[in-house]
Amino acid sequence: MLAALLAVSSYLFAVRVRFLVDLVRSAAPTTRAGDRERRVRNEATIVLGQRKLLQRIVPGLIHAFIFWGFLVLGPTIVIAMIGVVSKHATLPWLGDQGWYAFLVDLFAVLVLVGVVSALWIRKVQRPRRFEGSHLGEADLILALIATIAISLLLWHATRIALGLNEWPASSAPVSHLLSHLFAHDGTTRVLERVFVWVHVTTILAFLAYLPRSKHLHIASAAFNVWYGRTGPGGQLETLRFDDPNIPEEDIRFGAGTSADLTWKEMLDTFSCTECGRCQDVCPAFATGKALSPKLVIMGLRDQVFADGAALVKSRDGEKPIDLTSLVPTAVPEESVWDCVTCGACVQACPVSIEHVDHIVDLRRHLVMVDSSFPAEAEPMLRDIERASNPWGKAQSERADWAAGLGIRILEPGEAAPEYLYWVGCASSFDERARATAENTARLLQRAGVDFAILGAREACTGDPARRIGNEYVFQGFAEQNVATLNEAGVTKIIANCPHCFNTLGNEYPDFGGHYEVIHHTEVLARLVSEGRLTPRRDENLKVTYHDSCYLARHNDVLAPPRELVSAVGQTVEMERSGKQTFCCGAGGAHMWMEERGTQINDNRVREAAGTGAGTLAVACPFCTVMLDDGVQGAGADLRVADVATLLVEAGAAD
Amino acid sequence: MRTLVFVEDASDELSQQAVVMAKGLGGDVAAVAIDPSGGYAPAAWAQTLVEIAQSRGATAITAPGSERGNEILAHVAAKLDQPMAANCVSVAGGDPATVTRVRWGGSLLEEARLLGSPLLYTSAAHAIAAEPISDVETVPVTSALSELDQAVRVVEQVPASTSGVSLTDADVVVSGGRGVGSAEGFSIIEELAELLGGAVGCSRAVTSAGWRPHSDQVGQTGSKVSPEIYIACGISGATQHMAGVKGAKRLLAINPDGEASIFAGADYAVIGDLHEVVPAISAEIRKVKGT
Repeated sequence: MLAALLAVSSYLFAVRVRFLVDLVRSAAPTTRAGDRERRVRNEATIVLGQRKLLQRIVPGLIHAFIFWGFLVLGPTIVIAMIGVVSKHATLPWLGDQGWYAFLVDLFAVLVLVGVVSALWIRKVQRPRRFEGSHLGEADLILALIATIAISLLLWHATRIALGLNEWPASSAPVSHLLSHLFAHDGTTRVLERVFVWVHVTTILAFLAYLPRSKHLHIASAAFNVWYGRTGPGGQLETLRFDDPNIPEEDIRFGAGTSADLTWKEMLDTFSCTECGRCQDVCPAFATGKALSPKLVIMGLRDQVFADGAALVKSRDGEKPIDLTSLVPTAVPEESVWDCVTCGACVQACPVSIEHVDHIVDLRRHLVMVDSSFPAEAEPMLRDIERASNPWGKAQSERADWAAGLGIRILEPGEAAPEYLYWVGCASSFDERARATAENTARLLQRAGVDFAILGAREACTGDPARRIGNEYVFQGFAEQNVATLNEAGVTKIIANCPHCFNTLGNEYPDFGGHYEVIHHTEVLARLVSEGRLTPRRDENLKVTYHDSCYLARHNDVLAPPRELVSAVGQTVEMERSGKQTFCCGAGGAHMWMEERGTQINDNRVREAAGTGAGTLAVACPFCTVMLDDGVQGAGADLRVADVATLLVEAGAAD
Repeated sequence: MRTLVFVEDASDELSQQAVVMAKGLGGDVAAVAIDPSGGYAPAAWAQTLVEIAQSRGATAITAPGSERGNEILAHVAAKLDQPMAANCVSVAGGDPATVTRVRWGGSLLEEARLLGSPLLYTSAAHAIAAEPISDVETVPVTSALSELDQAVRVVEQVPASTSGVSLTDADVVVSGGRGVGSAEGFSIIEELAELLGGAVGCSRAVTSAGWRPHSDQVGQTGSKVSPEIYIACGISGATQHMAGVKGAKRLLAINPDGEASIFAGADYAVIGDLHEVVPAISAEIRKVKGT
């Protein structure tokens, strides 16, 4: 009987797993090799240590109890199966150990505590992050887990009552306590059989159900974490259009149908448990937009399963051509454009799902294949192509801000300075962001740093084009800028725009550009700590610092800007700060798109104003513009200023 | 090759180009126009073309890459469940046929294999020189129409509103920014625009606040304007706004803040409160006009 059940359950499990593995194998290629050490560390911390789950302490502990519980209780599956066969037999050695019986007792209880707390959160607290998730399925899974833990405890209790325990009853205090419910009689003998059968059959049912449910993450999450990205979060995967080693059919233009998803993207969809942590931190969702990163992944998963048979069949032959478009069937078009690529979702995801990659791949297909994207973004793309900057200003005016400051403009053929100051389009052309360029330059001059700018030879890095999905335009500019920089012999770059900083440092290596790229706050913090810049600290200046996503979350630059802020005044932190920062609303090319409904910058400015600070310090020209707009819109009593400007005002350039 | 070319009429230049491109493929080329007396109805016209093509055994159906040509051929493609290539600059026969077509507003040329039978493509505008068409056959719309084919049709033609001047064509644009203060505050802006026969514009801050529709927005993500004079009232002059004003011949800025960046690009500057300045200008114009 047991053998038959075991065979059926294992068969059902194996059939489904085989199907899932075939699906992953049918998917488009992506490179996730190398970095073994980092991957082992991720398994240890993210999976075993539950690091990302514990970013939220209560639900994190609940999950950790259940997860660690199941690791500890794993061997009891074998013990119980042996128990089904013979009530007098057990697993050699481990089955006899008092300490193990204690751990089983403890963790069975912790699992139950976890299940009850999880139900409390789901039924009583009902947080918004579960909006759109399959709640009934979650209840069923929690019920199955509870049944497994309860039947285990009751089985142990009846064994103690019957004197069948291989270990001292005192080592399993909870089962021991429960054993007082049972007499040493025939009824208990029957119940002992009932409990062990309930326990084993529930586990076998769970095994068969698991890979068909949203609880599939038990099987896939460890793989997904292993293959998670190990590079900087702000880096997007480069599409190879002209690599002669890639057959023409395999060239990807983002994702149009489920057949275009990479195998990691497919694995992502299998790993989602619909916990909604991504949705909870998403600035677009928080301001009432259509986008929920969770629903994007769920929509893609449903489409992958709907297309499953065709995808698996296609593994050896041609790509299936009549699949449904992912947009709008799996993901509404609006959602695709709502994303600001801030990466909060990716950071929050306990199983290393990379939502931004999915969304950018959907955009790439819409932009490059369908030519379908928000009309208001078209001038930006055209202006980048035509004028090398997103506002269509004349390149000859790029260095106008530097006039009269005595800044060296690196001409072709001249020797490279120690640092190339990459100003970026916003700081070159935007009247509010220009102060950053001017003040950064004055501080570098004051500290005697050897630097120069490229002037009219600097062009847009292509960041907004890449993030809206136009990989063609991005790659054109990447190649052009790399050629300029390499020819000039540049080795170190100072960037004041975190978007340029990210693109130059993390994305240009794919195009042969290898530079040491530092953000202006990093170099300025070093100059202050070395005493080469000496700002005066004003105790009455209350400053709150807004972390740029591309600086803090994507590139871990957290301390330098804070050191600068505390060198000029008193710092007050916002609740959402550091890597938990909340976007200004400009990322992912949103600087050049219209925002519907509540504005992200408004949400952020209200939080900043709530700190009581009079100054909102920033370290990004996009944040400068967006938050300054937000301040004016909200009528907040705040002044938005770049940290470089604050330093100059504190006399550091005098 | 037996090609059926949809033409809008014999004198239409894009239709003439479509015929020239079709002749390049060789074989029989028949130019067909559809009797427009029943009004334009894309699905019905497409159904008509499909029937003619089938009765004559056409191996290719093509149309000019105009809005109408592309729309009709897209319907034909849907009805025949065949792929269609829009805006081709060249077509070559063969198995499969190959096309070069315009992507990305002309910035990219895509070379593609065109599968399907009959071949369905439209010719890009001005990719090839036009030649007069000698014989165009005008056919009536087929009677074998489903309800769906008739669902979309022209029922009425309304000339573009003449009451307001369009923002992009206006010689005078009077634009308001956050400084206007409210949706109601725009009444003085509207008044001045009307007196000058101009259009009302606004900045992004105004549309974000919901005071004006997005269609009034001037800037990078709104309309790009090129009036003789642009009057910016209470607009600070953010880069995103100025990107839409580059085409203006003269810029008059009214702003209480003398440091506002709008003044950097202004030909005339009034440092003052728009709520006083704008009505004063309107009053003066009235006086001069004697109304």
